[in-house]
Amino acid sequence: MIRLDQISKRFVARTAGKARAPSLFKRAAATTVQAVDQLSLDAPDGRITGLLGPNGAGKTTSLRMLAGLLPPDTGRISVDGIDAAARPREALARMGILGDAHGLYPRLSARENIVYFGRLQGMEPDAANARADELARLLDMHALLDRRTEGFSQGERMKTALARALVHDPANIVLDEPTNGLDVLATRGLREALRHLRSPEGGAKCIVFSTHIMQEVEQLCDRVTVVAGGRRVAEGTVEELLAQAGCTRFEDAFVALAYGSQNGSQNGAAA
Amino acid sequence: MNPKTFLIVLGKELRDALRDRRTLARLLIPAVFMGPLMLMVISNLVSSLEAQAEQREVMAVGMDDAPTLRNYLERQTYTIKAAPADYEEQLRKARLNQPVLVIGKDFEKELADGDAPKLEIVSDSANQRAQVGVRTLSKLVQGFAQERGGLALMLRGVPPGLLQPIEVNERDLASTQARASQITGMIPMFIIMAVLYGALTAALDTTAGERERGSLEPLLMNPVPHTALVFGKWGAVALLGMAVAVLANLGYVPAQDLIHNESLQAMFRFGPGEALRFLLLLLPLAAGLSALLMAVAIRSKTFKEAQAGSALVITGISLAPMVSIMNPGAEPFWYYLVPGLGQYTLMMQVLKGQALQAMPVLTTVAGGVLIMLLGLGYVARSMKSAVAR
Repeated sequence: MIRLDQISKRFVARTAGKARAPSLFKRAAATTVQAVDQLSLDAPDGRITGLLGPNGAGKTTSLRMLAGLLPPDTGRISVDGIDAAARPREALARMGILGDAHGLYPRLSARENIVYFGRLQGMEPDAANARADELARLLDMHALLDRRTEGFSQGERMKTALARALVHDPANIVLDEPTNGLDVLATRGLREALRHLRSPEGGAKCIVFSTHIMQEVEQLCDRVTVVAGGRRVAEGTVEELLAQAGCTRFEDAFVALAYGSQNGSQNGAAA
Repeated sequence: MNPKTFLIVLGKELRDALRDRRTLARLLIPAVFMGPLMLMVISNLVSSLEAQAEQREVMAVGMDDAPTLRNYLERQTYTIKAAPADYEEQLRKARLNQPVLVIGKDFEKELADGDAPKLEIVSDSANQRAQVGVRTLSKLVQGFAQERGGLALMLRGVPPGLLQPIEVNERDLASTQARASQITGMIPMFIIMAVLYGALTAALDTTAGERERGSLEPLLMNPVPHTALVFGKWGAVALLGMAVAVLANLGYVPAQDLIHNESLQAMFRFGPGEALRFLLLLLPLAAGLSALLMAVAIRSKTFKEAQAGSALVITGISLAPMVSIMNPGAEPFWYYLVPGLGQYTLMMQVLKGQALQAMPVLTTVAGGVLIMLLGLGYVARSMKSAVAR
């Protein structure tokens, strides 16, 4: 169970826009960008919670705060009741995070990549190895397992990174746009794997899934949080959101919810 | 710090680095073979110079016009060779490697008349080998002049000793090994460079490389203290630096047998004992440099950017010994405070056969540890903000 409670993050950026006539000696004026603004999210166990928003809505920044890479300016983050700010390592141990950056070690095999992270999660080598085999079955990547990841395709890399994030069998799974660059079959395979992990047989995991692809949300998510301009603009099941926006197609509903609210707000795009 | 995490990270980084065979090979070839090769080349050069000195040959133009001089030279057991017609050209092009004595047509007559005939010693100061022979040749001619002068005085009843009112003796205070260290002085420099090159790739790969690949962010999402990650990475980097230093050191042990020159061989003492002392002196340098290179690289987003940044460190450290080479003999205490220069000075003392003193050694150790702690602290602090940007 993951709970974000009114988290905010503001960045200070130095812009070098033409309008300001930047020079070598004068630093451009600092502008602040409110990347995330009082965002709340409640992701229960056994459910796939979608985090849906246009590019720059603050999804990745929110997930980075969840992963402990950025401290939130305000608000609280808790993972299975553990305060992520006070006990970051315990919170991290309960999460498997596939972030925006998910680079592999090219000179290590897929298995070695997975086992390394398992070991860092405190697993014994044998257990981590067994878990790598298990995940290879789940993600259909047995043939890849003992090859060096150098030269892997985008989809193969994504699978390996996902297996690496799940190696310690975390109760909470956080995925940031995991279908980027995957082909139809791989996307379908991933969808099935996530459904399995959500089911009681798969461990009834709490899954948070950020994306900007409508289809995935419609097919996969139990509840959706729509984010725009760093703020939550709508929340509910797909049906509820359709009703709220008064649309029949989810895409129209999303546009109405996300961009409709953004026009009224002063905060532009962020992170 | 968590020792288990440290070992896991250390093991992974070592395995990762050792798999990069191509880079390793490219790095080992110059690091390990460069020094011994230079040593061999220099020993050959010294040998050929010595052989030339032993040859006792004088190359001359117009010796037939100077029977008295010929007589003198032959009495000194020198053989006389006629110089080729285009000797000037050959000297300039370094095809002739000894100076040429040019004798005027009227030498014998002028000598008999007391007209101070002129002799010319022709050489080319850009032609090193020929230049070496100039001193011997001019001494030889001077000897002839002195003999002539002495004889003339004796004929007039003056003791020739009057021409030498003082007696000059040279006394060389340098020990054999100190003298040898003029030639072997480059060994510590090459070994310091070996440490740098051994550590460089791994230092950049574990910091900027990790950022460039996008693997630093997932790594930091593991529930481990960042100091343990940093220490593990640093351990691997420092070990690789030391491993290349070990290999570079071992390269010199057989190089001893490859030196063809007997006198050099006798002077050059580099056995397992020296190699071991070298390595112990290098440990703090490897520790400090690895951390320094990592600290420089962690702020760079790409491997390339980090390479540009580390060039400054590499140049600074590998040129530090030049300070000592430019001021031979002086060893002020501040040398030991400069990483690279301190180790160089101590290694030179080992080569000269001097006993190492505790204070300088401890100073270099303290310097290395200080740089290491500062560097690693900086890396640990920067890692998180590095991925957040």
